[in-house]
Amino acid sequence: MLDELCINISNRLNTGILILDNNYNIIMWNRFLQVHANKEDNHVEGKSVFTVFPELPRRWLERKLSSVVQLKTQSFCGWEQRHHLFELSHSRPITTDSHFMAQNCTFLPVEVEGDVERICILIEDVTDVCHYQTQLNKALEELAISNRIDGLTQAFNRKHWEECLAKEFSRARRYQHDLALVMLDLDHFKLLNDTFGHQGGDMVLIETAKTIDKLLRMGDLFGRYGGEEFAVILPNTDLEGAEEVAERIRQAIAKSAINHQDRRISVTASIGVAVIDSDDSRYEDLISNADTALYQAKATGRNRVCLAKEAVEI
Amino acid sequence: MSTNVLICDDSNLARKQVLRSLPESLSNNVQLAKNGEEALEILRSQSMDVLFLDLTMPVIDGLGVLQAMQDENISLPVFVISADIQPEMQSRVLELGAKAFLRKPVQQTTLNENLQLHGLL
Amino acid sequence: MSSFDLTEDQQDCLQELINVAMGQASDQLARYLDTFVYLKVPSIEQVKSEHLFETLNQDLKATAVVSQGFFGYEGIRGEALLMYQPQDSHRLADLLGYEADELTFDEQIIDLSSILTTTFLNVFASQIDNQMSYSAPRLLSANQGTISEHLNQQSFNWDLALKVRISYQVTDYSFNCDMVLLIPEEAINNIKAVIDRILEDF
Repeated sequence: MLDELCINISNRLNTGILILDNNYNIIMWNRFLQVHANKEDNHVEGKSVFTVFPELPRRWLERKLSSVVQLKTQSFCGWEQRHHLFELSHSRPITTDSHFMAQNCTFLPVEVEGDVERICILIEDVTDVCHYQTQLNKALEELAISNRIDGLTQAFNRKHWEECLAKEFSRARRYQHDLALVMLDLDHFKLLNDTFGHQGGDMVLIETAKTIDKLLRMGDLFGRYGGEEFAVILPNTDLEGAEEVAERIRQAIAKSAINHQDRRISVTASIGVAVIDSDDSRYEDLISNADTALYQAKATGRNRVCLAKEAVEI
Repeated sequence: MSTNVLICDDSNLARKQVLRSLPESLSNNVQLAKNGEEALEILRSQSMDVLFLDLTMPVIDGLGVLQAMQDENISLPVFVISADIQPEMQSRVLELGAKAFLRKPVQQTTLNENLQLHGLL
Repeated sequence: MSSFDLTEDQQDCLQELINVAMGQASDQLARYLDTFVYLKVPSIEQVKSEHLFETLNQDLKATAVVSQGFFGYEGIRGEALLMYQPQDSHRLADLLGYEADELTFDEQIIDLSSILTTTFLNVFASQIDNQMSYSAPRLLSANQGTISEHLNQQSFNWDLALKVRISYQVTDYSFNCDMVLLIPEEAINNIKAVIDRILEDF
């Protein structure tokens, strides 16, 4: 009577139940598995679980099952680590994009007089959870990226760029590495905006960012510092190297002409370069040194590269 | 003549468990030690007939006691009673001269069987 | 006075129950990993919930935290947190000795934690005539902020946590691992009653 009740209930559960003997042969399974595996009872019972489900990672699962028998303790396998063990269909094939049922599996030792004689595997359908969690993770990832990126130019935004600088600064201090900073400002940008409109101005910012980005090495960190001001962190780079990079950037910007509504827009940039020195105790010092040099470049005629004074003295 | 028994374990409960499991003939003259150092002091100054020894203890652990006994030629039957039941640990204590290894919590029947086996009953 | 202030005898008894559980858990771990585990006396501390953050902050800059819920009879239930130190993380991967492509580090550390928690609590439970069931272990994201967040979000109101500090040294590798058992008050009272029952026998 109770047995019948248990079988009845186990067949109506929305959880798969699979019972194996010590040789991993299937003793029993419930309707949930029968339906989702789409296999006949008589092709399953008494057969090895690895024959019935050839997709199982055999070596791994054998180690898992042996730990259940040996340690006489429950073991688990979650969808976050392995999306699924058994290739089963699920009940949301249309509204989710996963082909097989995402699963949380529990492996239970079934002891008879102190010895583990059977292993019960419970298989929960977590396709829903997996689907929503994956979507959430994707959204969080996108959010994290949009938190770091300037929407217009695709360079790092000011906040993230400054965080990078703070990190690079303390790393350079700690390991006594070189660190250079290049800051540049587009010349007469307001005039350009007035002449070509804001769309034209935006186009210049986008194209300038692309031009700079192409000249950088891996590890260089490029950000939009303000309206028409950009900044590049050059780790492991001395003043000479940084000046070279800055000069290349200046020339590339001056050379490139931007087509906008059948008109050609030319633009130049003034650039200030500074390197870390022993007087800089905070990364802000490095910024203000580069900024001073940038101001100098502006004051002495624009479209040129100036080096920070303090650094020159070394 | 009564047998001099030393029980060494950092747990009060464990010492009582051993004490309670001892047959009457061994329970008249029992001394207790809370760690290996205390046990060694007693062993150096008095003549004991049997030692029940825990392994995982502060100050000097059970292995340390067995080693010191070997180094100092203190010879008496030792029964290790420990929760550290790894096979390698069991063979290690036997190599260091212990008569037997008993797992915690100690059972009266197992203790008596072992005492009998080694001629102490 | 907290309901869980233990007398010296109670504390000693609990320590011994934990020692025995640790011993057997280590034995199973050693067999599973095919190595030898050097056992030290585990330290046991009761931490009031309001002080838990402080204690965790003090001695933990954990990189990996694995959480697993447990429940037995007589209202004994709680959550076990296993915390690993950053400097030990790479050693764990070596220790577990899986083929590199067989499973990820996440999976390894979850596996190891589950073994430590369940073997320890199984033996502990059997000594107090209980039997445990477990929820699936979960790896909490590996930084302190998340751990505090997690503790804040605990669904049951625990008043006191049992902090069991276990340090494992495994032949060539050594790593430290803190096991913190968060146990709600009624479960603590239950454990205490069982301890008293054991003590009455002596």
